Amino acid sequence: MTAALRVEALEAGYEPGLPIVRGASLTVAAGEIFAVLGPNGAGKSTLIKAVAGLVPVFAGRVALLGRDITGRAAHRLAHEGLGFVPQTENVFVNLTVADNLDLAASILKVPRRQRLDALYALFPDLARQRKLLAGRLSGGQRQMLAVARALVGAPKVLILDEPSAGLSPKLVGLVFEKLADVRTGGVTIVLVEQNVKAALAIADRAAVLVEGRERIVGTGPDLARDPQVAALYLGHRGGGA
Amino acid sequence: MPDLVGLLSYATFFLVFASVFAIIVLGLNLQWGFTGLFNVGVAGFVAVGAYTSALLTGPEYPGQVGGFGLPVVVGWLGAMAASGLAALVVGVAALRLRHDYLAITTFGIAVIFQLVALNAQPLTGGPFGLQFVPKPLADAIPGNLAWNAAYLLTVAVLLGVVYAALERLVRSPWGRVLRAVREDEIAAESLGKRAFRLRLQAFVIGCMIMGLGGALYAHFVGYIAPEDFLPILTFQLWTMLIVGGSGNNRGAILGAVVVWALWTLSGGLLREIVPAQHQARAATLQVVLIGLMLMAILLVRPRGLLGEDAVVSRHARSVSPKPDVPTSPS
Amino acid sequence: MLQLVADGFVIGSVIALGAIGVTLVYSILQFANFAHGELLTWGAYLAWTVLVGITAVAGPIMPLGPFSFGWSLLASLVVAALATAALALLLDRVLFRRLRRRGSAITLIMASFGAALVLRNLLQFAYGAVPEYYSREIQVALRLVPRHVLGGLRITPDQLFVLGLTAFTVVALHVFLTRTTLGKAMRATSLNPQLARVTGIDVDGVIRATWIIGGVLAAVAGVFSGLTVQLWPQLGLDLLLPLFAAAILGGIGSVYGAVAGGFIVGLAESLSVPLIGAEYRAATAFAALIAILLVRPTGLFGERP
Repeated sequence: MTAALRVEALEAGYEPGLPIVRGASLTVAAGEIFAVLGPNGAGKSTLIKAVAGLVPVFAGRVALLGRDITGRAAHRLAHEGLGFVPQTENVFVNLTVADNLDLAASILKVPRRQRLDALYALFPDLARQRKLLAGRLSGGQRQMLAVARALVGAPKVLILDEPSAGLSPKLVGLVFEKLADVRTGGVTIVLVEQNVKAALAIADRAAVLVEGRERIVGTGPDLARDPQVAALYLGHRGGGA
Repeated sequence: MPDLVGLLSYATFFLVFASVFAIIVLGLNLQWGFTGLFNVGVAGFVAVGAYTSALLTGPEYPGQVGGFGLPVVVGWLGAMAASGLAALVVGVAALRLRHDYLAITTFGIAVIFQLVALNAQPLTGGPFGLQFVPKPLADAIPGNLAWNAAYLLTVAVLLGVVYAALERLVRSPWGRVLRAVREDEIAAESLGKRAFRLRLQAFVIGCMIMGLGGALYAHFVGYIAPEDFLPILTFQLWTMLIVGGSGNNRGAILGAVVVWALWTLSGGLLREIVPAQHQARAATLQVVLIGLMLMAILLVRPRGLLGEDAVVSRHARSVSPKPDVPTSPS
Repeated sequence: MLQLVADGFVIGSVIALGAIGVTLVYSILQFANFAHGELLTWGAYLAWTVLVGITAVAGPIMPLGPFSFGWSLLASLVVAALATAALALLLDRVLFRRLRRRGSAITLIMASFGAALVLRNLLQFAYGAVPEYYSREIQVALRLVPRHVLGGLRITPDQLFVLGLTAFTVVALHVFLTRTTLGKAMRATSLNPQLARVTGIDVDGVIRATWIIGGVLAAVAGVFSGLTVQLWPQLGLDLLLPLFAAAILGGIGSVYGAVAGGFIVGLAESLSVPLIGAEYRAATAFAALIAILLVRPTGLFGERP
């Protein structure tokens, strides 16, 4: 069975001579929730941004559903079944909720009525707040909108950069519940997270990244129990590249 | 056998201009390098200084105001006062604006000043400008070369004074708070009114120095007209600052000398190569050359010869959200 | 009074078309392009060059109807529009794109100021400083309104052409931006470039489209200016402050704002002539700019400060 996402020996970064991701490899199976963890500066965000075409790739390979997408531009990937939710500024604050979703539907040329009805069904709170400016939404609702926007194109793989950032524990729970629903709908989910506990609670499998490369890979429950994981975090508390 | 007198004369001329420009660029550096204020109307404030000094010290001009015949030193002080006052008015109105709006506004100010210089004949002599701007102590020092040398000495001393004063100022507590305000927009906001007053002070002081430069220019050349203060002057001064390295007072002086040297050299070269009837057109090529140089510096070495690392990009944080990362390596 | 209003609309047309380009570049590329005025000048001169070429090859062209120009000017306008768009793209490729990567809006402005000087002086080198005209034909002004009604109104056919074509261009642009997804993509890019990318928008393509639209409109504005006034190397620089004033007045990023701003500035300039004299017209644009910045910096139709 083809992996939903396969990363092989990826090297990536912002400056050509300074790779932040240094030969990371991951395999994400279709339909699973995969968490990418690691201390600050390990390169988690850079890794997924490189996959999503937002950060230059220096070496290695990325395959989406078996097709090579290494270094492909972000906007093209959006049309090819990849959804990406940035950590910050992930909604168009000057547009209404409806306009945020309509925009994505227009750009991705999907049947608007059908897709949006499905999304409003999945996110009933957003349906109620359709006419509200995205900038006026609460933190939790904004995150929901960000996820909804990324789902407009019916992606096969959804990547999220620290979806719990800035949210209270209760809201984190709600967002992650929603992600579980999304996965039930058949979408593979990859999330970068600082909140190890919450991430491992819903992840099927996870990897811990340290200094640009994966160190530990395993199932969610296994890693939750693994003392090495805690050690990695504690050991690098003050540092990290 | 090279004409020694001619060479000395040329050198003196060159150095006087370079020093006057250096003084003005020091004022600009205070505004941009140390305070992060983007003043694209420099030529206007230089003009205010030049015209004020000329009007205060010059002889009677028929049909217009001026001709007070005051001593030259009074003229210079008056020039600083006038450009400082103009800066105060402009600053109070414009300094709260975003950096790019400030740029457009100061550009507009310079356009207005130029319009007034060109059209308000009773005030500024209109397109003919002001002649017979008195050369200080011209009677006391006979001979062109001697007077030029004496003037050069005066200007050089003033340059030294301005440099020393500015160096003291930026190392003082006032200067330190100024730098803090420049670098951290959020801290600046928390200081509120105080940050605005600091910026205003830096703006006014900078413009006063520019006005002094204008006056020094006027009394050396003896004749000023509106076309001496066109946007090209602003551009030359900015190029000097960027080439030399903004944020660094020595860089400001070095930039003035280097760019002025390139300007006069290219002018001389073009005068040699180009036949007489095309001379006016050759002057436009000079501008093209300097323009290309500025763009090249910005692309290749934006911090200039002596500048701090990434001074320019440091200001970007307070201007607008950082542009997103390119999707592919260049 | 009516005459001043009409003149104001004609000037306003030129400013409006130029300001659309300024506002689009400002909002999508995040910088005030001090070189935009030179795109107008280049557009005007490129058209003039083509016109001279056509006349050299095909002989003097008969004016069309009551206008001062023939089909040759229209053909020249089309060529000039394409060439100016190409110039704008070249400028971006060679200069602005590289500076964009370094991330400083101030550097971009400074570079654009330098580019403006280079472009202006190159033109002056090539064509000299003497004003040129598209046609030496004397235009007879049509009296549309008798003198006893608000001072009367006379207008030349060329001026009517300018007004008409401006209206057409604005409507065409509106249709284009609303019917195609490009308009939405441009708006999204101006709001949040990275989010636009992950939403599926080709931001580089949007940037190219912005320069093309800006360049084409600048060429048209430049030709209109050359047609109704004259061609000279300072054409663009004289209009730069009014262009910025119009764009900021209308609200950065708003095409309608730029058009409205353009007409307001044009009218203000024209109406101020009896008050402060024709020499100080540029001051009116500046006054409008300061007023809007102090009172409502977001402009009339703008959304972001």
